Amino acid sequence: MKRIRNHPILGEPEKGPKVTFTFDGKPMEGYQGEPIAMALKAAGVMIHRYTAKRHEPRGIFCAIGRCTDCVMVVNGVPNIRTCVTPLEEGMEVRTQDGVTALEVKA
Amino acid sequence: MKRYDLMVVGAGPSGLSAAIEAAKRGLKVAVFDENAKPGGQLFKQIHKFFGSKEHKAKIRGINIGKALLREADEAGVEVFLNATVTGMFLEKEITVRQEDGMHHYKGDSIIVATGAAENMVPFEGWTLPGVIGAGAAQTMMNLYGIKPGDRILMLGSGNVGLVVSFQLLQAGCEIAAIVDAAPKVGGYGVHASKVARCGVPFYLGHTITKAEGTDKVTGVTIHAVDDHFNPVAGSEKHFDVDTICIAVGLSPMSQLLKMGGCAMEDNPKRGGQVPLIDDNGETSVEGIFAVGDVAGIEEASSAMIEGRMAGVCAAQYLGYCDAADKKAALEKLEEDLSSLREGMFAPQNKGKAITETDEGIPISESLLTRGYLDDKEVVAYPGFTHQMGVHPVIECTQNIPCNPCQDACPKHCIRIGKTITALPAVDSDATCVGCGMCVASCSGQAIFLVDESAEPDKAAITMPYEFLPLPEKGDMGMALSRSGEALCPAKVVLVKTSKAFDHTALLTMTVPAEMADRARFFRPDEKQKEVQ
Repeated sequence: MKRIRNHPILGEPEKGPKVTFTFDGKPMEGYQGEPIAMALKAAGVMIHRYTAKRHEPRGIFCAIGRCTDCVMVVNGVPNIRTCVTPLEEGMEVRTQDGVTALEVKA
Repeated sequence: MKRYDLMVVGAGPSGLSAAIEAAKRGLKVAVFDENAKPGGQLFKQIHKFFGSKEHKAKIRGINIGKALLREADEAGVEVFLNATVTGMFLEKEITVRQEDGMHHYKGDSIIVATGAAENMVPFEGWTLPGVIGAGAAQTMMNLYGIKPGDRILMLGSGNVGLVVSFQLLQAGCEIAAIVDAAPKVGGYGVHASKVARCGVPFYLGHTITKAEGTDKVTGVTIHAVDDHFNPVAGSEKHFDVDTICIAVGLSPMSQLLKMGGCAMEDNPKRGGQVPLIDDNGETSVEGIFAVGDVAGIEEASSAMIEGRMAGVCAAQYLGYCDAADKKAALEKLEEDLSSLREGMFAPQNKGKAITETDEGIPISESLLTRGYLDDKEVVAYPGFTHQMGVHPVIECTQNIPCNPCQDACPKHCIRIGKTITALPAVDSDATCVGCGMCVASCSGQAIFLVDESAEPDKAAITMPYEFLPLPEKGDMGMALSRSGEALCPAKVVLVKTSKAFDHTALLTMTVPAEMADRARFFRPDEKQKEVQ
């Protein structure tokens, strides 16, 4: 379980309503308004993109929108910083491969 | 183009403080921040701050943040969020990227409070998913309630590395080790001790040589380093971890100031490229100020004071207050700031090897090299006494600017005196009533209540406890030593919580009397843990 249910100092984390989104076509759940990257992290997704030249995996690194390691293709738009972009119902989130969406075999 | 009397870049602790002081004096103030929420990093700081009452000591960063937002609101500060300042030009003009495009703003004064960015250290595999900044870990767990990993290695033993390690433990993660290439712990000894007593090993003089894994981190290799920080062949150690957390310092984000024509210098003591500023934060360009980490890496408490000072100066610069008002305000703020900049960790002592305290007691070598006080060393400090009945034992052994314990005790058992950095001493003539206020008020979690003869042949130890599940009276477990080693069985005899303790529970356990000076933490039996 990646979500902290109860915290000794912070208590229960405040959450928006539950929403459904897709990751590489697979349905997933998260909370509205939390960064996309957090919903993915909670679901165990580590790889957000592959680099253009050497096809190396990248994931969350700074989590505050500075490093751009966590960018993905969101609703068809590449290079979206998932750590600072709020999750919305029905979002299509795809692993980025270079600057386009990774082709995922069905 | 919109105009303001004062434009502040950055809505963190220093920027908001600056805006508040200026707005209170009648300036029309706009604060720009690239984030969706104001407060900078304050809302990730769930630990109690050091300092004195004036510095908001023993208040958690999140609550200081909330108070600051209220104050800004009352003062009429206008805060623009999701607003990235992309350029600073002649005549105090800035460009801001906002949701609907680029906008120009012009001010009669500017306060830059952009803060700092985390430093990184490259090693083989450092780009793998699972290698994260310490700030990222704080963001995940303290803002969004997500565990950064299950088993984590922390690189860096400065205050950030130590504080974040403790927060990771609070979030339910396991810390495999804290590693630092330096030969000594960089942060406060009390921060190291509270992590060490949970059983986290310290590897000083070590560095990461490889993050293992193909798609994500599955382990890490560390090596001891020689005097030139080169890995020593054959010294490697391996840990199974899923996350590597990097806390190797911060660098000022000072690019805007450079762009705006402010004279800069490269100053390693301040963390890198910083503007040349006077005592009030004014740069070489009249009316442009720099406050907080962008002007030199320190911490939030001093950043807030620097912000207030610059806010006052901007007000006087534009004629919103007179020189007498400015002088009076600055005198008080300067006093607060200088008291924070005293002690072993003060900016002027950076890089100096300090071998004894102001009181002339040798600094604990064990604390600096292993993260915890040696049982034999601790007796030398004025907070450590043996008395009949319940009494405080204070394991605060470095001169740091902090004194809430002195005010916390209603019976005046604890004495620091006027010098805020003096080590707290326990007054054996005063009578401790065992209320525990000192235990809860110590931001370093370094105060324990000890009753050496609570029961026949048994001692009772009361400790600060900030973990879940909270043990209950009657629970059995292990008493751990200062190094986190299992010492002996222990029984929980009391768990006190109170609003006044601010989420710090006071757990009292009984141990065999001979363990009174050694038992400093409680680990519940596994069975009770599973209930979580």
